[in-house]
Amino acid sequence: MRKFLSFFVLSAGLVFAEEKIVLKKPPSSLDKYYPPASTKFEFLSNMHAMSTAFYGINANINEGNWEKALMWAQKLKEIYVKTSKMVPEWKNYFKPELADALVNAVKSKDTDKVIKASRNLGQTCAKCHRDNELVVKLYYHFPSFDKVKLEDPIDFMEYETGKYMKVMTNSLKALKVFLSQGDLDRAQEEGMNFIERARGLRAMCSKCHTNKLSEEVILGKNFEEGLAKLEKLLSETPKKEEVFQALGQVTISCAKCHNVHLAPAMVREAFSR
Amino acid sequence: MIGFLLLLLLLASCQKFDEVFIEEDLLQRPQAKRCADCHADIYKEWLKSRHAKAWVSEHFKFETENYSKTKCLSCHAPHQVDPDKKPVLRVEFRRDGVSCVACHFKEETMAMHGPLKVWSPPHPSIQDLNYLKSNFCAGCHQETYKEWKLTKVQKSCQSCHMPSLGKKDLIQKFPFHLFHLAKPRTSHEFPSLKAKPDDIQIKIEGKKLLITNVGVPHNLPTADQGEPKFYLVVKATSKDGKVKTIRRILSPQRKNALVYGRPFVITLPFEHIDKVQVEIHRKLAWAKERDLILRKELTP
Repeated sequence: MRKFLSFFVLSAGLVFAEEKIVLKKPPSSLDKYYPPASTKFEFLSNMHAMSTAFYGINANINEGNWEKALMWAQKLKEIYVKTSKMVPEWKNYFKPELADALVNAVKSKDTDKVIKASRNLGQTCAKCHRDNELVVKLYYHFPSFDKVKLEDPIDFMEYETGKYMKVMTNSLKALKVFLSQGDLDRAQEEGMNFIERARGLRAMCSKCHTNKLSEEVILGKNFEEGLAKLEKLLSETPKKEEVFQALGQVTISCAKCHNVHLAPAMVREAFSR
Repeated sequence: MIGFLLLLLLLASCQKFDEVFIEEDLLQRPQAKRCADCHADIYKEWLKSRHAKAWVSEHFKFETENYSKTKCLSCHAPHQVDPDKKPVLRVEFRRDGVSCVACHFKEETMAMHGPLKVWSPPHPSIQDLNYLKSNFCAGCHQETYKEWKLTKVQKSCQSCHMPSLGKKDLIQKFPFHLFHLAKPRTSHEFPSLKAKPDDIQIKIEGKKLLITNVGVPHNLPTADQGEPKFYLVVKATSKDGKVKTIRRILSPQRKNALVYGRPFVITLPFEHIDKVQVEIHRKLAWAKERDLILRKELTP
């Protein structure tokens, strides 16, 4: 009976055993199961419920409790059928007759039949996951930056996130350029602009991260100290090596944030074009 | 013996007398407009307040992406406001925002609580001096409360944001208002207030411009999650006539708001300053317009 469990471990591993991944925009009918339309994550909840039911069948068969296994098989079928109707564009991924077959296999109390029926049903899940799971994660499980706007502390204009990043990094590049070519007044001015714009980033984080601790992970003590050091260096006669060193301390935070948010934001942006 | 029995009967009937006037729906967390049946003036004040708009505000709706950022919701439609405790989200009448029952009705006593001792036949009332203390507001206004505590200023949140209106009737319903004496009343408009020019001290020290909040016992501007802003424009003129403008946005989310008693420092761009012109505007978190707070010209 233990072979029953090993089947699931293997099939889960197969889902992402691909050399090429194609991201296709999820159907808009899925929108209603995710924020902002819904905070209940109904579609995802069904995935979890089906996964749990699958485990319920497995665990009970392994313990020889076929009655309870049948209860979970019927529950699985019920949710599977319900889920198949939630996103019309994905209707063809679902094969309700295979859920029926699994219920019948459990009724027969024949482990080999259950394994076969589970494999057949599990393959319908795996195909949909292979095609859609990654993009759904990227598209629905990360916040949209579309509506996040920031006021620039230097020109008092309101910018979208992408534009703000550009304006801020332009100040950073200008600091490096003017410092490298010995134009210290311009370097100081652009450097101070960069510092203020970098400090302004906090206002973006707090749009979603209401818990200040998560904001501190990225724009915490290290970031603040880096900016303070940079400010001090720029208020005197700035030395290139010291300024670049302080910049290194600050820009680690850029990488931290981008590692989490940039890829999903790029996927969203690509789909919105 | 007969007298004693009569006295008992009288006391029992008094208790009944109280119950006769109880209006049951008032103990079932009614909508704010139900409270206006008697407390018409207070209701009108509250309608003008941000508390009344806490849920329906277009700005809030936008920032929470149509109420899908659930962490923000409980303070905008609290079930019960208690000192120092973050409230839970109310189930009913969320459009009322921070409503009458949210602040005044307590599940534990099934009574209306408030700072005054009152006789109120339609609902039980309990005097509760917590309503006069700043920590009553701290469950939602956590950051502002922390800032205020650090100032060590005695004036409470209520002293400024619920200013006294003198003695007034608590109810306006005829003829019941005739049975009540006027009581000390405070405003339920909860004004946001605006810093006065004197609240902000500005001075030049060498090459530094120091801007200090000396009048408002919390950061300027302040907020927990919203982003009210100060727009600071400093125009410095050197002895040889060169002019440079420095701009800054100060806000709680940028962590650079003016802390009470602690100078915000700007390094001036010239060694020899002739004059410095400073202009500060503010914009409330939900507002579109900026208001002028001060305009000053300084010489070293």
